[in-house]
Amino acid sequence: MSEYTAKDFKKGQPRWCPGCGDHFFLASLQKAMAEIGIAPYDTAVISGIGCSSRLPHYMATYGMNTIHGRAAAIATGCKIANPNLTVWQVSGDGDGLAIGGNHFIHTNRRNIDLNMILLNNRIYGLTKGQYSPTSPRGFVSKSSPYGTVEDPFRPAELCFGARGHFFARAVATDAPGTIEILKAAQAHKGASVCEILQNCIIFNNGTHESVHTPEGRAKNAIYLEHGKPMIFGENKEFGLVQEGFGLKVAKIGENGITEKDILVHDAHCEDNTLQLKLALMEGPDFPIALGVIRDVEAPTYNDAIEEQIKDVKSKKTYHNFQELLMTNDTWEVK
Amino acid sequence: MSEEIKLMKGNEAIAHAAIRCGCDGYFGYPITPQSEVLETLTEVEPWKTTGMNVLQAESEVAAINMVYGGAGTGKKVMTSSSSPGVSLKQEGISYLAGAELPALIVNVMRGGPGLGTIQPSQADYFQTVKGGGHGDYKLIALAPASVQEMADFVGLGFDLAFKYRNPAIILADGVIGQMMEKVVLPPFKPRRTDEEIVKECPWAAVGKPKNRKCNIITSLELDPAVMEKKNLHLQEKYREIEANEVRYEEIQCKDAEYLLVAFGSSARICQKAVEMARAEGIKVGLLRPITLWPFPSKVLNQFANQVKSMLCVELNAGQMVEDVRLAVNGKVKVEHFGRLGGIVYTPDEIIEAMKAKIM
Ligand code: SF4
Repeated sequence: MSEYTAKDFKKGQPRWCPGCGDHFFLASLQKAMAEIGIAPYDTAVISGIGCSSRLPHYMATYGMNTIHGRAAAIATGCKIANPNLTVWQVSGDGDGLAIGGNHFIHTNRRNIDLNMILLNNRIYGLTKGQYSPTSPRGFVSKSSPYGTVEDPFRPAELCFGARGHFFARAVATDAPGTIEILKAAQAHKGASVCEILQNCIIFNNGTHESVHTPEGRAKNAIYLEHGKPMIFGENKEFGLVQEGFGLKVAKIGENGITEKDILVHDAHCEDNTLQLKLALMEGPDFPIALGVIRDVEAPTYNDAIEEQIKDVKSKKTYHNFQELLMTNDTWEVK
Repeated sequence: MSEEIKLMKGNEAIAHAAIRCGCDGYFGYPITPQSEVLETLTEVEPWKTTGMNVLQAESEVAAINMVYGGAGTGKKVMTSSSSPGVSLKQEGISYLAGAELPALIVNVMRGGPGLGTIQPSQADYFQTVKGGGHGDYKLIALAPASVQEMADFVGLGFDLAFKYRNPAIILADGVIGQMMEKVVLPPFKPRRTDEEIVKECPWAAVGKPKNRKCNIITSLELDPAVMEKKNLHLQEKYREIEANEVRYEEIQCKDAEYLLVAFGSSARICQKAVEMARAEGIKVGLLRPITLWPFPSKVLNQFANQVKSMLCVELNAGQMVEDVRLAVNGKVKVEHFGRLGGIVYTPDEIIEAMKAKIM
């Protein structure tokens, strides 16, 4: 049992707009941290710039509200310098994927033991409503009054493309779903990415409409659990099956499909092909995947470096300065 | 189309003036308090009328490098941002200066250091005139004090940038960017044709005719002797700009016994302070540098023979005051008055500071 409650992680009065998805996420993060049970003074929350990046101000942990786009790099420095800290990096889609896109991929590739949170509302909220790199093509905003002409990033693709080992997704308004993936991210050793579908009520209201409410999620989402068949629908009447190179939604009981034919989720599978397909599913033909999509063990950067140091040390022929001076050829000058 | 009188924000004036002066491309990224530049441009859709391109980049770094690329083709390209974003651009700016490319950068300053505040400030004076990026280079720096000047300096900035093959910067602040005033927009000037660019910019990447070598645009030179020559050439160019392009405004200076020195929004407030002080019988004038580089050193030095003392009023901890002191070279007392953190002084405060510090 953890000795903490969510209150131990709370600080101050959030200054987000009333109804902003960030309020929901903050509450879930505080609850998750209480359940995880790591002390506030052993925890650091690091953000860049943006609405969601105000989050460290409302946490009773250590916090850094840093540079636009650089949160992942700063969190990396923090974790490497003090591996004993549990480090959470919180960014929005602008901070994390526009200017911070480079750091996002390299942090995943390098596999630093960080919990990376991506609050995705598909808009720049703080600068009052310009399109972001996750805004869909054709999206109308202050900086694209006639619709964008760019394709958006899909965060899972970036994470997987950068050889990320953990990717999970939750809707900010879904507290149990959010808490579950946050705990899983903490349990995962190495870089973990949690995409939080967050609503910006002011500048992009309804962007995740289809999964915003419990009823919506029952209809339009699938909760993935490792080792369980991928079944969804209001009456659990649908399942995912593989067809050719892709996934397909099948109705259980129709065309001879039984529960046994439904694919079983394997979050631990090293090969990310099917996991990526799951992560990219979207309506109306597919449900949106929630929960832990990929969770594969791999050596972390810190572990690998320690291992390397140990190895080099064990093979060394000198152990102090005198011995170092005497390595290789030595001459006596007469 | 001819001149047009409109009521608008300083940031909007930048956008409209850019379209009207025949700008070919704008590359930006939202940041308070200058997001209206990008927003106005996308709203007006100049790509449908003049053919000017507008792009929201993924970061300020990307935006300045897009400017670098565009400038390399001899086109009129620009970017705008606010202090933290302009810090990010410094690498690209140094390369533009090193490669001698004309371009226009707009900084609508906010308070720093770091993330600071979104409130107005003039704390990027040093960054603008003393380098900012690495190496011995200079930017032609224009400091507007009105929405009208925001509009006028876009065309002027481009003209100077192309005349000297050097990046120019408009150094405004949150006050000038956000305030609304009447502005006379310049008449439309068509974008230059490809033929005109080939003729005017023989250095640009415009496709190679048989009779000359390829243009390689670079700031790199590994042979120290050649590199020194290149640097000396830059310095020669800077001396020429210093000789030809100093701009400033004198306000009630003729009989002044005391002199205020201020730029941008501070100059506007000082102008009011001058009026109020004169009503009290204090003979004070205002010298407003319009080009922060090249700096109006000579005229300040001359005023040092006339006035008893000077007060440099700026929204920072004391930056331009260093250049005023260098210009005056000890002839009279030069003091500084500033407010920090996004707080703007009132004319009364300035008069009080004047009485306390230089009278
Ligand atoms: S602007 Fe949008 S994202 Fe920012 S606080 Fe308000 S609702 Fe939240």
